Amino acid sequence: MPVIRLVNVTKKFGNFVAVDNLNMTIQDGDFVSLLGPSGCGKTTTLRMIAGLETPTEGEIYIDDTLVFSEEKGINLSPDKRNVGFLFQNYALWPHMTVYKNIAFGLENMKWKKEDIDKRVNELLKTLQIEEFRGRYPAELSGGQQQRVAIARTLATNPAILLMDEPLSNLDAKLRNGMRAELKRLHATSKSTFVYVTHDQSEAMTLSTRVCLMDRGVLQQYCPPLELYGEPTNLFVADFMGNPTMNFVDVKARKSENGIELTCPSMNLTFHPLQETEINEADDYVLGLRPEAVLIQEDGQIEGTVISSLPSGMETTLSIEVKDIRLSSVVFGNIDFAMDSKVNLTFKGNTYILFNKRTRNKVGMGALTIK
Amino acid sequence: MKRKINHLLAFLKKPQNLILLFFVVTLGYLVLFPLVCIVKDTFVVHASEVMRVKGSKIGDFTTYHWVKVFADKNSATIFYTPLFNTMKVALGACFVAISFGGSFAWLVTRTDLRWKGILTKLFMFPYIMPSWTLALAWMNFFKNSTVGGAQGIFTALTGIVTPNWFAYGGFPITMVIGLHYAPFAYILIGGILRNMDANLEEAAIILKTKRSRMFMEITIPMVMPAVLSTFILVFSSAMSAFAVPQFLGLPVRYYVLTTQMFRNLNGTNPGYGYIIALVMILIALIIMFVNQAVIGKRKSYTTVTGKSANISQFKLKKFRTPISSLFLVLVLCVSVIPMISFLLQSMIKIQGNYSPSNFTLDFWIGAAAASDKINDKAGILINADVWKGLFNSLKLSIVAALGAGTFGFLAGYAIVKQRGTWLSRFVENLTFIPYLIPSMAFSVIYLSMFAVRHGPIPALYGSFAILAIIGTVKYLPMASRSGVNSMLQLSHEIEEAAMIVGVPWWKRMTQIIVPIQKSTVISGYLLPFISSMRELSLYVLLVTPANKVLTTILFQYNEKGWDQYANAINFVIIVFVLVINFGIERLTGASIEKGVGG
Repeated sequence: MPVIRLVNVTKKFGNFVAVDNLNMTIQDGDFVSLLGPSGCGKTTTLRMIAGLETPTEGEIYIDDTLVFSEEKGINLSPDKRNVGFLFQNYALWPHMTVYKNIAFGLENMKWKKEDIDKRVNELLKTLQIEEFRGRYPAELSGGQQQRVAIARTLATNPAILLMDEPLSNLDAKLRNGMRAELKRLHATSKSTFVYVTHDQSEAMTLSTRVCLMDRGVLQQYCPPLELYGEPTNLFVADFMGNPTMNFVDVKARKSENGIELTCPSMNLTFHPLQETEINEADDYVLGLRPEAVLIQEDGQIEGTVISSLPSGMETTLSIEVKDIRLSSVVFGNIDFAMDSKVNLTFKGNTYILFNKRTRNKVGMGALTIK
Repeated sequence: MKRKINHLLAFLKKPQNLILLFFVVTLGYLVLFPLVCIVKDTFVVHASEVMRVKGSKIGDFTTYHWVKVFADKNSATIFYTPLFNTMKVALGACFVAISFGGSFAWLVTRTDLRWKGILTKLFMFPYIMPSWTLALAWMNFFKNSTVGGAQGIFTALTGIVTPNWFAYGGFPITMVIGLHYAPFAYILIGGILRNMDANLEEAAIILKTKRSRMFMEITIPMVMPAVLSTFILVFSSAMSAFAVPQFLGLPVRYYVLTTQMFRNLNGTNPGYGYIIALVMILIALIIMFVNQAVIGKRKSYTTVTGKSANISQFKLKKFRTPISSLFLVLVLCVSVIPMISFLLQSMIKIQGNYSPSNFTLDFWIGAAAASDKINDKAGILINADVWKGLFNSLKLSIVAALGAGTFGFLAGYAIVKQRGTWLSRFVENLTFIPYLIPSMAFSVIYLSMFAVRHGPIPALYGSFAILAIIGTVKYLPMASRSGVNSMLQLSHEIEEAAMIVGVPWWKRMTQIIVPIQKSTVISGYLLPFISSMRELSLYVLLVTPANKVLTTILFQYNEKGWDQYANAINFVIIVFVLVINFGIERLTGASIEKGVGG
């Protein structure tokens, strides 16, 4: 059963189009990340779902109830949409204690005092903030405030939890800890999470599905590994992955072996997994993930090491092959001398061909070196 | 020994230390010394008191004043009644200012009120205009013939004779001071409402909070700090207000501490006056400590603006036009209508008669009658006295503004640079003391301090210099406060980057610090200038016929009952102040709003 459905949703601020004709369905129990560079419309989308922002056009359904329709003039206020919202800056009320902050929403729902007390204590315990119940937000650290904010949002047991970059104000170590807790929370609470982030690794590691946006337009909406492995266009390919994907400008021509790719530094044959149409007049871009640029003694392409960045677990290399540079990741504890020669080869079928003009993926497959 | 000298040299090498030392010396003489003088003067027999303190000579030690003020059968009239009146008026004024200014702030920031632009501009008028403006306007409208001599505009229009309590005394004083300081409330409360993180309210909406509960438990507590600082600002300003109670209280013998002090200092009991001054300083100190204690750290918060740019505005719906109109009328009543009343009152021959035949421009441009008719002076536009007063006012205000602004900024710079040292803290407190000393008491002390030569400092009474000095010192807190606040926001690294490449100090100041802080610097000049242009109580005792300023001429004319001239001069002062204020605002973008509460 779909929980949240956005149909042709558009949001304009004056002439600026923040979200452009967005269609998206979020299933029950999903953990969906809205991902993209700043200004791509991800926060706006989240706020439109919550009802904090009014779309310019389109319809939004929550639990099959139409909560917004520009056409029918329906706009349910945020309190009637039964969602929880976690703000980036936590938005804890500074004049209320931790206990009062968490209890506030329950008081609105006219819970009995004992029930409120029970629920708040339970939350304080799960989030390990029992000892701070009497403190004011200003007396808490960032991580503790974060927990209070989560407790406040969870208190009313919302079936849908909307989160706006909740971890971005925490330091790196805390952030990692909280990530794990959020994932656990999702598993145990069985709620639907919609999560805004600009951090691709956060989206990759947490979500069941990622919605990648750019300039208000949805680019790709799929499980995270698919987003990484099968990007539908150059933006997605470039955005996902660190170090970023290698892009090589090529000319393409069909032959009986596959597709012949030529550029000044290499001549390759591309073997697509599926039938692929090629227009010889167009320019193409070949995308190679750094981990798919392999260093092997018997590799047929010779390159020069420009830089070597060993991190212990893996080493990132920048290699010059004639007039292009490729980055490559070598796993293991190895270092390479600057300016040393290495041989490259390609393996597997993770290489992707994009049309340079349309920026879309044309095909995916294996490479052989001529 | 050599080490100590080296330390000293290193200390003196920093310009900020030299500035601090300069302030210790000058403010020590101009601020601390007067404070000691006030205390001393409460125990001393003054020339006019010799007759009453039996068997005493001038300058003898006595406890006579203290006993008389606090524990005598006349203490009630001398001290307790004025004190009680002051409290009543100040508390009432706070209530008026906060409810009027606060509700206006809420309407402007949170609702779809109409005509916001013009309303907010007009709303600032009462604060920019001299405080007695509204007092005179009140009199113009509501005076009655029993006490005021002639009927006011209100009675002329409606035929209803205003009762005394409505026309004079505590009620109008409270209203007028409250309305005058309502802009404080608007600026401070509106500032918080505008900058308040919208997420705080959105979080409440998501949790299904009712409008009323949200307002009571989220919005109101959030603006509480602003309400409190407004309260403190208005309370202390109302307490030291002089012109308003003088104009509105005197006709019915309604005294507050300031007017009582003026009576004593100007009359035969300066000793009482000094004690009252001390009491007022004490109250101001208590307020300050209460302020610091109440605004504790526990619930402190920063107003970080959240992501949502616009908070959903409350729709007034069918009340939109009525409420907007109501506020337009109210705001016009305290801004434009007083000015019309001054213009009107300055153009009628016989007071109380508003028929067209009674109008004249004589008081503006008419020539003076024969010299034996003392109260027929030349119209103010051709009156040399008035022009001279205007010139003096301008000269004095420019000098005081330059002095206060420049020294205040330097003080702010040095205080922040050396923050954490006892010297810096000492100077910070020193620069704030003039704010606590009531203007009237301050000027009395200067009067006696500079009456005779003290070492290298010549007798200054009657000179322009004494006015310039007192103006500079009294307005120093305004400029130094905003200087400290803005310097705190400027990272040390900005100046250090210049130090590394060897830019000398004065060049760092003129080419880096001052340009960055441009708007603060200009506000630091603007606020003292405007304040000085409309200052009365600070100057009234120190001027001599040679250096009269416009406000003291106004005061004098008003006391003598030359109403038309007084109204005309008042009109001139207001127009002048408004034009300069808005002119500078337009030219530089600095505004008086930025200086308030700084």
